[in-house]
Amino acid sequence: MSGNFNSEVTISDSGFLFDHGTGLTYSLNETGQFIFMKMKEEVHANKMLELIMEEFDVDEETARKDIDDFYRQLKEAGLID
Amino acid sequence: MGINVGITGLHATDNPAPGIGVIRSLKHPNGWDGEIIGLAYDVMDTGIYDEDLLDHSYMIPYPNTNSKLILERLLYIHDQNRMDVIIPTLDSELALFQRLEPELKKAGIAVFLPKLDVSKKVSKAYIADFCEENNIDSPKTKVIKEPGELDKAIKEIGFPLMVKGVFYEAFKCRTKVEVLMHFDEMRTKWGYPIILQEVIEADEYDICCVGDRDGTMLGAVPIRKTRLTDKGKAWAAITLKNDKLYDLSKRILKALKWAGPCELEILQDKKTKKMHLIEINPRFPAWIYLCTGADQNLPKMVVDLALGKKVNPLPVAKSGVTFVRHATDIVCPIEWLEKLTTVGELHY
Repeated sequence: MSGNFNSEVTISDSGFLFDHGTGLTYSLNETGQFIFMKMKEEVHANKMLELIMEEFDVDEETARKDIDDFYRQLKEAGLID
Repeated sequence: MGINVGITGLHATDNPAPGIGVIRSLKHPNGWDGEIIGLAYDVMDTGIYDEDLLDHSYMIPYPNTNSKLILERLLYIHDQNRMDVIIPTLDSELALFQRLEPELKKAGIAVFLPKLDVSKKVSKAYIADFCEENNIDSPKTKVIKEPGELDKAIKEIGFPLMVKGVFYEAFKCRTKVEVLMHFDEMRTKWGYPIILQEVIEADEYDICCVGDRDGTMLGAVPIRKTRLTDKGKAWAAITLKNDKLYDLSKRILKALKWAGPCELEILQDKKTKKMHLIEINPRFPAWIYLCTGADQNLPKMVVDLALGKKVNPLPVAKSGVTFVRHATDIVCPIEWLEKLTTVGELHY
């Protein structure tokens, strides 16, 4: 996992994400916000999985699915490659 | 003694001219130390009824009338209310002010505009050539100067395509019937040439820039329009921080040695991510006040440039600043309309 976004992105406390390069905005849910913040901190994939399981009290499969879904959506939005 | 500025383009409807945004920028944040003189073409140019923005308004002849008459009128106005600088804000009057520049200068009125050959080079009819010469991507474009050229151009570009007037308006067409309809409309309204352009699936960005005439970009604010009117005009937008847009704008202004304000329209192809230059409007955009909100007061910069002051490039504009346009009503006495109609001037 890395914080390598294609342009500068910022997020508010309420999960409102702004892509400074394109002007597009997104609303993240609690899980999305959590993963986003960990990406910015450049947390490693395995550690990310662990942190999600712990934070949201979910099993590994659910945590992995959340991460995969979130990454897919970031790619679709062009925020990461 | 304050600087007095004459400003055109004061009609602010759902397709607003830039004049009002220019005045609001000059008056930002604590008013303007000088007089603002509105130069209007029609008594219903809405902005001239805003007494909070203007000190005086004068009617002037349309830009396509005899330039001697326009000069006489401007000199008359200058005699009544000194104008140190004029900021023309409409595409259709650029050539006029370029021609009048030496006479205005003699009278003590400064303008800061690109040279005639420079602005011609990037007019809608020639911009594709400029892009090719300077290795800048641009959509496939055909310039039609007579009806006989139309069929071949449609074939070469393919559908969908844009039909564009030489100064204003653009329509997306999916069939030949649509092309013919808009082609005739443009020919009647604006005359030749008419431009046919490839449609690219892309994100659109706009950048307001100011150049110093020596090739340096002194200010630049890139935006994405977030809400459009049915005419495709911005009703809301947000400022960006985008190095690719910034670098391309710098290259363009350097290649042209552009003087004064302009608005670059750029498309980023969704697949290839290539940036295509589609238009350069040789004036401030209607959303110019957003630049001021993003810490780049470009109208004030242009006044300084016109007066020959030394101007340094501004730091990168603040991103994430938004504007939302808001229509409002101005209530005024009938005497204002009477004065503008009968004597062609109004002093608030």
